[in-house]
Amino acid sequence: MPSSDLFLEVGLSHYLVLSAILFVAGMAGVLLRRNAIVILMSVELMLNAVNLSFVAFSHYMGQMDGQIMVFFVMTIAAAEVSVGLAILVSIFKRYKEVNIRFFEHLKG
Amino acid sequence: MTADVFLFWFLAIVTLAGGLTTIMITNPIYSALSLAFTMVGVSALFVTLNAYFLAGVQLIVYAGAVTVLFVMVLMMFDLKHEVTAFTRGKISGMVKSGIVAVLAGILVGSISLTTDIFSKSGAAPEAVIGGDTTKELGKVLFSKYIFGFEALGILLLMVAIGAVALARSKGGTHAKQ
Repeated sequence: MPSSDLFLEVGLSHYLVLSAILFVAGMAGVLLRRNAIVILMSVELMLNAVNLSFVAFSHYMGQMDGQIMVFFVMTIAAAEVSVGLAILVSIFKRYKEVNIRFFEHLKG
Repeated sequence: MTADVFLFWFLAIVTLAGGLTTIMITNPIYSALSLAFTMVGVSALFVTLNAYFLAGVQLIVYAGAVTVLFVMVLMMFDLKHEVTAFTRGKISGMVKSGIVAVLAGILVGSISLTTDIFSKSGAAPEAVIGGDTTKELGKVLFSKYIFGFEALGILLLMVAIGAVALARSKGGTHAKQ
């Protein structure tokens, strides 16, 4: 693929590469950050990247199933955030901080 | 350069900048702000892919509800004294960054190697959905995926109850020590 084509024509691979980079950024956040709230945000970033690739495939293949899957993923991500933040609230109550070093034992 | 190409590159830059700021910045409130930026960017990318309904849902659920939830919890905690935002230890940090870089290389390489083959065989690239897809989305959702939809309703009910139960156990945020 010549390099002028790369910038003048947007196709499926552009969306996929963007989604891959977003996913990897989210993974870097999960691995490198110590604040549990920021880790949850990075997980949201990864889920969004996957949603983007689902919608791109759905658009370029002419099928609706990818968009349905995005719908499900969004709902489950919202559920995951609410439960995760509830767990964080109860951890904060106990230790007055949300650093992940308090998650090491995960008991009572 | 046509308008939609320019729009894609603009949105890609906005989204990537938002995502990178989310993981790089040390103040969690600014992280939440740039996460909201990223969500809006992804929603606009959905619009460029003709998924209007999903773009709206993305704006309402992510940029609205989830971000507000994050900010509310951040306000509830007093997180001004964050000193170790990133992982400690240079070696483990380098190992983690290396793993991430390798994964990025593998992903981008495999995408650029396989989409060539993909566009030559199988689904023709002319099979692009044009126009509004909301009607078709509703038809498929309420016929083929109706059980998944109902299961999702039950899951949401259970999650609402579970979140309240978790946050309220032993007195919520106002627990006496």
